Amino acid sequence: MADKPVALYSRVVVALNGGPCDDRIVRLVVETARPTKAEIVAIHVVEIDWTLPLDANVADRSESAQRVLDSAEGIAERLRGTLEPVLVQARDVGAAIVDEAVERGADLLIVGLPYRKRFGGDFAIGRTVPYVLKNAPCAVWVVREPMPGEIHA
Amino acid sequence: MIGGRRPLQGRKIGDRRVRVDRPHSPYFRYTGAGMLTAKEAATAPRTGVALVWSNLRRSLFGRPLSNEDEAEERLPKKLALPIFSSDAISSSAYATEEILRVLVVAGAAALTLSIEVAIAIAILLTVVSISYRQVCRAYPSGGGAYVVARENLSQTAGLVAAGALLIDYVMTVAVSTASAIQQIQSIIPAAYDYRIEIAFVSIALITIGNLRGLRESGNIFAFPTYLFVALAIGIVVIGLSRIVTGTVPVVPPQPEVVRPGVEVLTIFLLLKAFAGGSVALTGVEAIANGVPAFKPPEAKNAANTMVTMAFLLGAIFIGVTVIAHAFAILPSEDNSGGPTVIALVAQSAYGQASPLFYIFQGATALILFLAANTSFNAFPRLAAILAQDGFMPSQFAFRGDRLAFSWGIVLLAAIAFGLLFAFNGDTHALIPLYSVGVFVCFTLSQTGMVRHWLAVREPGWWWRAIVNAFGGLLTLVVLLVVASVKFRDGAWLVLVLIPLLVLLFQFIHRQYATSRRQLALRPDQVVAAPHREERVVVPINGLSRAVVQAVNVGRSISPDVRAVLVVDDHAYAEQVRDEWARQVPGISLVVVESPYRALTGPFLAYLDVLDQAWTPDKDAPITFVVIPEYVPRHWWERILYNQSTSQLRRALLGRPNTVITNVPYRGEEPAVFERRGRLDPHTPPDSSGD
Repeated sequence: MADKPVALYSRVVVALNGGPCDDRIVRLVVETARPTKAEIVAIHVVEIDWTLPLDANVADRSESAQRVLDSAEGIAERLRGTLEPVLVQARDVGAAIVDEAVERGADLLIVGLPYRKRFGGDFAIGRTVPYVLKNAPCAVWVVREPMPGEIHA
Repeated sequence: MIGGRRPLQGRKIGDRRVRVDRPHSPYFRYTGAGMLTAKEAATAPRTGVALVWSNLRRSLFGRPLSNEDEAEERLPKKLALPIFSSDAISSSAYATEEILRVLVVAGAAALTLSIEVAIAIAILLTVVSISYRQVCRAYPSGGGAYVVARENLSQTAGLVAAGALLIDYVMTVAVSTASAIQQIQSIIPAAYDYRIEIAFVSIALITIGNLRGLRESGNIFAFPTYLFVALAIGIVVIGLSRIVTGTVPVVPPQPEVVRPGVEVLTIFLLLKAFAGGSVALTGVEAIANGVPAFKPPEAKNAANTMVTMAFLLGAIFIGVTVIAHAFAILPSEDNSGGPTVIALVAQSAYGQASPLFYIFQGATALILFLAANTSFNAFPRLAAILAQDGFMPSQFAFRGDRLAFSWGIVLLAAIAFGLLFAFNGDTHALIPLYSVGVFVCFTLSQTGMVRHWLAVREPGWWWRAIVNAFGGLLTLVVLLVVASVKFRDGAWLVLVLIPLLVLLFQFIHRQYATSRRQLALRPDQVVAAPHREERVVVPINGLSRAVVQAVNVGRSISPDVRAVLVVDDHAYAEQVRDEWARQVPGISLVVVESPYRALTGPFLAYLDVLDQAWTPDKDAPITFVVIPEYVPRHWWERILYNQSTSQLRRALLGRPNTVITNVPYRGEEPAVFERRGRLDPHTPPDSSGD
């Protein structure tokens, strides 16, 4: 699917993982959404393994999970923007992100791509980003984490 | 909390997810491990009255600002100049007049010396400004003379400077407001009769402006200051060019003008003129007090603003004095309602019928009102620093909704208006009180800076120390002159007030130190679990749901619970006793009959008796007095209830080993009391038999 011009996005879902890239993604999405006053939904997915029921009290007891979204909300407010934080528990992170984007009718989905310094350093593509790229019914932006020594905005 | 606990089905089988509710989200934000930061909604009003009050405050002062907004509240130089310099620059509107008013008694020839006096004051201004530039750089945390004197001389010297500064700021508001009203009189003579009302309105408006926050007040007040500066420079340029070209206009004589006297021109008279004109220096220190209010780099921006301010003040002051002399302008009689010297100077430059003249008069009145604004910024900041150091009540360090030091602002407004009211709005009666405090500060800060340079010895310290030493000496001389020549006119009052303020500061400091000592834990102290026994006493006035709730709270504190009914009606006591035995079994009821009808006294006496009856070899127990309290639905109902409760609470406050616990009953769960079993703690709720 061809990307729309930036100005036409009206509903953006942004997936946050609590990593160093979150700050950059939130800034990007707030600035992207500003011209059209696009609605922003920030989603953080807590993966629940099969030893626990899906609705186990995990995310609500985890301050760090709450902090991921609170921090994003704070950054958005400082940039005079707003976002709707959504905390989700799921077995599979990628599927939960895509499903949330579908349900909210998002026309842009933004995910971060972490960089791992171990073993000489490489982007940790993992399972989530390929799943989202393959299954999202809308434009997907992948924002990579800055590499060591890279000057980033 | 899991949102509904109902998994949402995804697009594919097996892709299920659960949305998690975030109940903290509207009110708080997690900002660290175990750390919550309140959002604006957490401070939202919860009652109707609070909502009305909040809306009123919001419409008057604007929406509350968070601490994060502080960076945006910092002032750029173009806004800081009018905020912190309007006091100093506005002095040029009346300093020349103060010189002429003294010299005129020695005849017209003596007025020639007004220029020399003005130049001497300008030199003093230069030295003081250079010194305060150094204060800005050396003490970027602000506080000006107080901090410099405290750090380099002694705490008492710092407090003297602080006292003098606070007096100065109050005077600035009063003097500049009175002077502004005089300017209005110059174009509308009838304004004289309404000077107190005008003063009240202007002080109230400036107070509201400042309670709206630093930046907003800067935006509001910048325009009049720049307008005054532009028009005053216009006057100086036009006036000087006319002097140079020899086209000096004839200023028509005013009926209210002071007639030149025939006194001999003595050195004392010259010094008095110098002292009078030195009011031009008031407000110079304000920038050094407010360095943290500047945008980064704070110290550099403050120092540069100081230079701009000194240049503008010096140019306008000398220019106006030269023009007044060249055009043979004389001041008007006190309280005559005649035009001011600056008004006549403006008239001679722009022409009496010119719109520019009227605009300038308006701008002069405005900048004089706004000179008060400088104090409204500096006074609360200094009060906050003093409060942080424990020399003023701690409320002065708290910042209000708009990040302004609200307590300091309101206190300044109240005192300044009270002063104007007491002096009936007369500027000249107030000016003798004015410049003494300023020069006390100047002298102390310069002396402190000399010691600072001697201590730090950084590159260039010696010339900085020389400048400060020269400035200190000069300002000390001026202080002695000002204090001696104005002593009888009212300067003595300041010399009495400063020590009184210092004593007050020290008294407050001692109080805080004492309470801190009493509350402090030793660093080596490890707090052990309580070892004293506890007992609960519930004062009651009968049997009610509120009483039952209080008794149940008491049971959760200790098994030793007793209710005490103080009563003057024996029959009523018997009735309550019967009901109590039937409905609250297991809790003893003590009836204290009070034939003298007092309630609090017999209850306290009963507690004393309990204490005395305690086993002497055991530590005294902690007595929890659990007071049932009915919470009425409406605020106006409060006068109908709980009067004796409040009285009892007050009486118990200082009692040793006694904890007062209020148990409010709001009537939310009447069903609880309708279940028979809930009154008995030993009967589980499920076995109530309903």
